[in-house]
Amino acid sequence: MRTLDPQSLTQHVDRLYRAAWALCGSREDAEDLVQETFARVLARPRVLSGDDELYYLMRVLRNTFLTGRRTASRRPVTVATLDEVVAADPRPLGQPERALEMQEVYASIAALPEDRRLALVAVDVLGLSYREAARALRVREATITTRLFRARKEVARLLVSELAPEPPQIPVARREETRASGVLSSGETS
Amino acid sequence: MTELPPHTESELIELVRSSDVRAPDSLHRQVSTMIASRPRRRRLALHPPVLGAVAAAAVVVVVALAVALSGGGSPTLHFNQAAAPTLRAATLSAPPESSTNHAELTAAVDGVKFPYWEDRFGWRSTGMRSDQIAGRAITTVFYSDASGRRIGYAIIAGHPAPRIGGGVVLWRGGVPYRLLATNGAAVVTWLRDGHLCVVSGRGVSSATLLRLASWSDHDASAS
Repeated sequence: MRTLDPQSLTQHVDRLYRAAWALCGSREDAEDLVQETFARVLARPRVLSGDDELYYLMRVLRNTFLTGRRTASRRPVTVATLDEVVAADPRPLGQPERALEMQEVYASIAALPEDRRLALVAVDVLGLSYREAARALRVREATITTRLFRARKEVARLLVSELAPEPPQIPVARREETRASGVLSSGETS
Repeated sequence: MTELPPHTESELIELVRSSDVRAPDSLHRQVSTMIASRPRRRRLALHPPVLGAVAAAAVVVVVALAVALSGGGSPTLHFNQAAAPTLRAATLSAPPESSTNHAELTAAVDGVKFPYWEDRFGWRSTGMRSDQIAGRAITTVFYSDASGRRIGYAIIAGHPAPRIGGGVVLWRGGVPYRLLATNGAAVVTWLRDGHLCVVSGRGVSSATLLRLASWSDHDASAS
């Protein structure tokens, strides 16, 4: 048992941000989620049973994410009319091709059903072991294995289908035109 | 850099795990500010059984205090209920400026003073009202500017403060401010010394409300 050292949290900001981005699908929402998560953690001293802070942060991130989703779904009036919204950091993410690629990957993860998404974020994005992920998400280890298997498969499929070139298509108007002219010419010959 | 998008699961895992996407600097700064301004508590060097007994006693005291201070009030005050008085009419005369602190009015709720905005922002206190909603005492002070716009500033008595969710959260000086809207009026909510505060006004922008709320919180409560 030990008390969480708040100063040590700064080293996890980047990883937590990536996890939040994959959960929410947008950089702006990810920033809010990370802020909310740290606000919760820092609200009072925390006692950790193990050594891994990341596992604990994943648990709080998951709870904050799910609470936010629930609150948003039953909120009667929540559309804030803002004249001042601090936009997410507009800087590009380093190499542009890589940035685009990661954006697509995170968007695909965010499109997964919630339980699979959380499993993939815990293991692949945050780097938790299956056991830690299971504890953080309060499910059995075998469940993590299954969800992760499906999640990876689905994300890979989504990425391939998104990036695959589309087959050439004839515009509808042109098809109609072709058909009409065909009918007309057969009428002329009769 | 990967030249091609991941086609297999193993390529995907490799890509996700090797991602070096950094959080924005603004977020890093924000987290550092939150850590620096977190509530500090004195550490107790006690053994676990003693610590457990102390914790249990503390829970009893906190619950008793919460019930006593809130007058048995329910913590489930909804956002619309909390914001409603800020859009109603004043029923009492305006509280005057404090003679000891020029950033405050004389009116207060559990020691949390209402701000004085006239000299700095041109918003003059024009009236006050007192309500009892969902078992909570809500005191609201109204302010008006030269163009006739009006803002209601409510402080909700009792602990724990009702929880408000949703909207957009913006941070100012380490304090989270929640920006929402109700009945066509912008609303900002936040905590001051553990009390829920709500400011709202028709025709007043969220940015103005946020500037006023964050100024008063910083200057009025710190002084």
